[in-house]
Amino acid sequence: MSEFLRMGGYARYLWPSYAITFIVVVLNVIWARRLLARARADALRRLAAQGGES
Amino acid sequence: MAWTWFHRLGSPPFVYRLATRLTPWFAWPAAILIVAALYGGLVLAPPDYQQGQGFRIIYVHAPSAWMSLMVYVTMAAASAVGLIWRMKVAHAVAASCAPVGASFTLAALTTGMLWGRPMWGTYWEWDPRLTSELVLLFLYLGYLGLRASFDDVQRADRVSAVLAVVGVVNVPIIHYSVVWWNSLHQAPSVMKLGTPTIATAMLVPLLLMLAGFTLFFGAILMLRLRAEVLRRERGTNWIREALSS
Repeated sequence: MSEFLRMGGYARYLWPSYAITFIVVVLNVIWARRLLARARADALRRLAAQGGES
Repeated sequence: MAWTWFHRLGSPPFVYRLATRLTPWFAWPAAILIVAALYGGLVLAPPDYQQGQGFRIIYVHAPSAWMSLMVYVTMAAASAVGLIWRMKVAHAVAASCAPVGASFTLAALTTGMLWGRPMWGTYWEWDPRLTSELVLLFLYLGYLGLRASFDDVQRADRVSAVLAVVGVVNVPIIHYSVVWWNSLHQAPSVMKLGTPTIATAMLVPLLLMLAGFTLFFGAILMLRLRAEVLRRERGTNWIREALSS
C-alpha cells in the first residue's frame, strides 16, 4: 500500500495532480447544482409574487 | 421536415425538459467510466519505461486538456448558432460552457506544471503549447468578464459570442503547437491520424477517462443550461408548469 502511495518517487507531483483534478470535478458539480437551485428558487419566488398580484 | 428538431431545440420549455431527462444519462455513465479509468490508470496500467510511475499524471492531465478544448469548441459552435439563427437557447449553452471550460483549463495547466517539474526540470516554460493553453484560459476569463460587464442579457450574448467565435482560432494552434514548433511538450499519442503510439494497457484507461470526462461535461452542461434557461425565461407561463412537476 505504501509502495502504491509512494508512486516510485513521483508522489509529490502525482497526488497533487489527482487532487487538483478531483477538486475541479467536485467544484463543478457543486457550482452547477447551486446555480440551478438558486435559479429554481428565484423562478418560484417570482411565480408566487405574480400569483399574489392577479 | 427534418428541420423540426432544430426548431424544437430553439424552444426553452422543450430544452428544459430534455436537459432534465438527459442529466442522469450523462452523470451515471460518467461516474462509472471515471472510477474504472482511475483503477485502470493507477493500478492496472504498467509503469512507463522512461517516466516510471510518474506517467500516470496523464490520466488527469490529458482529459483536463481535452475538456479545455472540447468545451471551447462547443462554446464557439453554440455562439455561432446563436449569432446566425438568433437562437436564445444556443447562447444559453455557450454561457453555460465558459465556467466549466475555464476550470478544466486551469486543471490542465496546473497538472501539466506538476508533470513538467520532474520530467522537464521546470514547472513552466514559455513554450508554444503551454503559452497557447494559457491564452485559452484568458479567452475563457475574457468571455466571462465580458458577459458580466453587460446588464442586458441579449447584448451580453451577442458580444461574448463574437469573442468566442474569434477565439476559436487558438484551438488548432494549441493542438498543432507541438507539431509546428519545437516544443518541450510531447507530440500527441492518441488524438492524431493513424494508430495511437501508446501501449494498450495504458491507452484503455486514458480512453475511458476521456469518455468519462466528456459525459461529465454533458451532465454539468445540462444542469447549468436548466439554470440559464430558468433565469432567462423567468416570468413566463411554462415555468409554472415545469417547476410544479
